[in-house]
Amino acid sequence: MASLRIALAQIAPRLGFLEENLARHRELLAEARDAGADLVVFPELGLTGYLLQDLAAEVAMRLDDPRLAALAAETTGLSAVVSFVEESADHRLFISAALIEDGAIRHVHRKVYLPTYGLFDERRFFAPGDVIRAAPSRLGVGLGLAVCEDFWHLAVPQLLALDGAQVLVNVSSSPGRDLAAVNEVGLGTATSWRTLMRTYAQLTTSLVVFCNRVGVDESISFWGGSEVIAPSGRPLFSAPFYDEGLFTVDVDLADIRRERIELPLLRDERPELQARELARVIAERAGMSLDSTAEDGSSPGLDVAFEPSRRERAGSQ
Amino acid sequence: MAAQKRAATALANGGLFELPDELAIDTDVARRVIVGFIRGQLRQAGFERALLALSGGIDSALVAFLTAEAVGPERLLAVLMPYRTSSPDSRQDAEAVVAALGCPSKLVDISPMVDGYFAGASDASEVQRGNFMARMRMAVVYDNSVAWGGLVVGTGNKTETLIGYTTLWGDSACAFNPIGDLYKSQVRQMAAAVGVPERIIRKAPSADLWPGQTDESEGEFSYPELDRLLYWMVDKRRAPDELVSLGFEPSMVERVRRMVAGAEFKRQVPPIAKLGPRTAGIDYLYPRRRPGSARRS
Repeated sequence: MASLRIALAQIAPRLGFLEENLARHRELLAEARDAGADLVVFPELGLTGYLLQDLAAEVAMRLDDPRLAALAAETTGLSAVVSFVEESADHRLFISAALIEDGAIRHVHRKVYLPTYGLFDERRFFAPGDVIRAAPSRLGVGLGLAVCEDFWHLAVPQLLALDGAQVLVNVSSSPGRDLAAVNEVGLGTATSWRTLMRTYAQLTTSLVVFCNRVGVDESISFWGGSEVIAPSGRPLFSAPFYDEGLFTVDVDLADIRRERIELPLLRDERPELQARELARVIAERAGMSLDSTAEDGSSPGLDVAFEPSRRERAGSQ
Repeated sequence: MAAQKRAATALANGGLFELPDELAIDTDVARRVIVGFIRGQLRQAGFERALLALSGGIDSALVAFLTAEAVGPERLLAVLMPYRTSSPDSRQDAEAVVAALGCPSKLVDISPMVDGYFAGASDASEVQRGNFMARMRMAVVYDNSVAWGGLVVGTGNKTETLIGYTTLWGDSACAFNPIGDLYKSQVRQMAAAVGVPERIIRKAPSADLWPGQTDESEGEFSYPELDRLLYWMVDKRRAPDELVSLGFEPSMVERVRRMVAGAEFKRQVPPIAKLGPRTAGIDYLYPRRRPGSARRS
């Protein structure tokens, strides 16, 4: 198999300035092409900025938007992942990442998991996607797209890999926080993300590409630190924190084959077993059938856990 | 027993200040974030210049250093605003910051404004006078922001914001605040890292509203202890009984809990009576800066 040159566009989008961000994407696509890149990855909402609130509807684009077509036209002989607010025909707004290749949109992933806790308020403004699919690409290898929080849910990388993705691409707008000096890299967010990405790369024996933005939206500073992780879980490249830049990384796709033959975890996955047990858990959590693994007296959906009142009773005995 | 449970508090930077272990931050990362934040705020608003009230204390000294790093000292105006009872040391320390940075500065004596207002009001309390001084300083800084063409940078830290040790529409007024998420102990750690003069880091924090006033004597606490308590209470979400088992005095836990709850209103935009279909801050939610909102876009 061939080597693949990945360009990570670790940019600082301007909040709400769609035209300016489109122009920046075009510039960087040209720059990446000149650098011989095969795949160019831009961060989550790179075309719009992250903290949009009510601006989301004003910068939203339909998939047939001529501005997207013009951007796609810049990808002749290239693959790129770009992210924007997508408006569906029924006027729902999604945080989407699109694979564009040879002038066309080849695949769209709508962010499935919308964090609405802590400093996040995504579910207020956006609809969640409900499809997780790998996509074939001109690169000769299946791609699995995910957006930021999608990677904080185990099922996503696993489903993508089972569906044929050999390269998992996560595009993010991850706000840096937790500056405690005890962290490995001085930033709690970065430590957590790195743990996740190395684990996913190893467990799915896939190449993981992470592109995180930099810059500031309101109070939030995004930390960058984009990475490429080998299927062995070993980091091949780590971009600096907070610096804007276009970083190219060469990877050998044969590493995926070697890893999967040496460590056939994916071959040994048991999706049919998972599906069967999940179907049971879903039915039991919904109260549609008796919870077969619960202790006597616990409520449907709580599975083996005691009710708190019952635990107190048990403790007082 | 309680003392044994307390976390280690190291003397940082050769004994310059006390730094509880759990509050230690990576100052390189923090500096990078804050400098980027200051640049981002100005850029989004279409401004290149900034100004701040420089008291001679550690908070405004740190913000001055960070702002000068972000935009260059020539684009930062330091406004010194002593009252006639202010400590001469404060002014000296503020001038040391100005000299160290090489930034432009302006001296405005607020005594005539304050004394003019309170003439014949001998019954005005120290709190009234202190609040009025803080608000006069706010008015002077905001007036200067027009002539200077810059944004007002806030200098309130997380500790005073949480316990409400600020004057509403006074020292808390600003366009943006780079250090509002740093506890006082962390302000000291940052100040040492960016080169704020030692004398300023070492001296007892004071609002300097009357002679001899210090934060810690007025509030009957020490900053490292208060910072640790707030960290476990606010950031780590510990309940009062859990805080006591961490070694904090129950009376202090209760007192600080009340101060934090009592100051909630100071940290929020005043509520608007909801009447129309779309109301600012409730269901009309936009970023502060967006296309069309910058001064020069």
